[in-house]
Amino acid sequence: MEKIMSKINTSNLSQAEIRERRLEILYKILPVISVLLLAGLWLLASRDFNAAVGSGFPTPTAVWDRTIRLFTRPVKKMNLIMHALVSLRRIGIALAFDWTFGIMFGILIGWFPKPRAFFSPLFDAFRAVPPLAWIPLITLWFGIGEFPKILIVIFGSLASIVVNVKAGLSAVDSMYLNVGTVFNATPTQTLLKIAIPSSLDAIFAGVRTSTSAAWMVVLAAEMLGADSGVGFLISRGMDSIDMPLVLTGMIAIGIVGAILAIVTQFIERLICPWTRKSK
Amino acid sequence: MSMDKKKQVILSLKNISQSFVVKDEVKPAVENVSLDVYDNEFLVVLGPGHCGKTVLMNVIAGIEKPIEGQIFLKGEEIHGNDRRIGMVFQSLNLMPWRTVMGNVEFGLELAGMEKKKRRAIAQKYIDLVRLTGFEHSYPHELSGGMKQRVGIARAYTNNPEILIMDEPFGALDAQTRYAMEEEVLRIWKEEKRTVIFVTNNIEEAVFLADRVILLSNCPAKVKQVYDLSPLGRPRDLMDPEFLRFRTEISDNTDLAL
Repeated sequence: MEKIMSKINTSNLSQAEIRERRLEILYKILPVISVLLLAGLWLLASRDFNAAVGSGFPTPTAVWDRTIRLFTRPVKKMNLIMHALVSLRRIGIALAFDWTFGIMFGILIGWFPKPRAFFSPLFDAFRAVPPLAWIPLITLWFGIGEFPKILIVIFGSLASIVVNVKAGLSAVDSMYLNVGTVFNATPTQTLLKIAIPSSLDAIFAGVRTSTSAAWMVVLAAEMLGADSGVGFLISRGMDSIDMPLVLTGMIAIGIVGAILAIVTQFIERLICPWTRKSK
Repeated sequence: MSMDKKKQVILSLKNISQSFVVKDEVKPAVENVSLDVYDNEFLVVLGPGHCGKTVLMNVIAGIEKPIEGQIFLKGEEIHGNDRRIGMVFQSLNLMPWRTVMGNVEFGLELAGMEKKKRRAIAQKYIDLVRLTGFEHSYPHELSGGMKQRVGIARAYTNNPEILIMDEPFGALDAQTRYAMEEEVLRIWKEEKRTVIFVTNNIEEAVFLADRVILLSNCPAKVKQVYDLSPLGRPRDLMDPEFLRFRTEISDNTDLAL
């Protein structure tokens, strides 16, 4: 440490710059510390619990072994990645619907006052009902195949995109609309070239929240009757008191969720380059 | 002959009144304003504070409908916005999702002109406002003065006969402001249009104007019209004649509240 400090001192940096450097290093170290802390706590918890109640909280090595075993001896002929892909496929189909119908519906009730007045109460009531409450009805109507699961995911994630798109389009800044007026924009041009582009950041907020909502709902749906998917792994672990399997599932959920968040953010930057702060 | 042409009325306001609503209270913003704008002149509308000027410009541009009065463009009454009237906005109103080129060509794009043609025209005005090389930059990457140049180029590209500039330099620092005033005169000389320039800055008004229309404080009424053509161009801020006009207008201007 002293070596590093002396190095910094010799390179003619002001006190403020040194402080800034130190802060930079601190910000890089902090996330590493938190992960290490979590791992340490996990070790501690699993050891103590094992002494007290025998099998309770699995150790990291047990979870690691279970994860490996999931590849050597797959559950229902599918390893962890295949289960994750099955879950992803379900939310993929649901999100494809959300992002087409949901965005169109959001534009409809965000931009046009009459449809907004007509649909708003229905929509507000619909989104107040938790998606899992639909499970009995959907199961009764459609059984337990793929379609009902996707439907539940749609019911659970549609509202978040519609709400965001609606918010964006109902609050288009009048200064942009004035430009359209001065240039004689037709109503269609005003919608397509001014209102929708100016709402793109709100639309993307909807894309992000609907993605994370879909990922949560699909796991819940899978835990209630499925023979594939990460949610199924967790309920299988619960049924056979296989806690390492449960933790494997949970960690997979966390990792995939984080990847989804990063991917959607990346796409947003690609499509809306102007939202980047400055060069 | 040239004198005759100069004095041709292109735009005529007759008894325009308009009000605005603040906290459910209707307040008069513009009261019974009548004025003539001559072809190709640089007209400055000077008024104190934040009352009425933007409202009056919005009425001329067709963004707002006046509660009373008529507007005649080349002798014909117009209702609402007319494509022969362009506007440079006070708050710029550049679209952050469009590049400089995207913003400048916007009016022609809405008019349905094909891409190659409108790009060529837009490029001409981007060059005119000296933003060559920044076509693909986004507004957030530009300085305040450069953004104003984009606003001016955007208005010019649509080829309006009358160009409204609503306090375009209000947000700029003093130095950039002086530079942009010179720029606006240069552009106006190269591409002659009728300009209606709004400001609350007396020096700016005397520096730019062929004529100054002095408005009163709330509600805006025409207080006096000054003909500044005796000053000639280019103008010197320290010239005694310049200072005389400046003092005269200054003494006659209402205090902004």
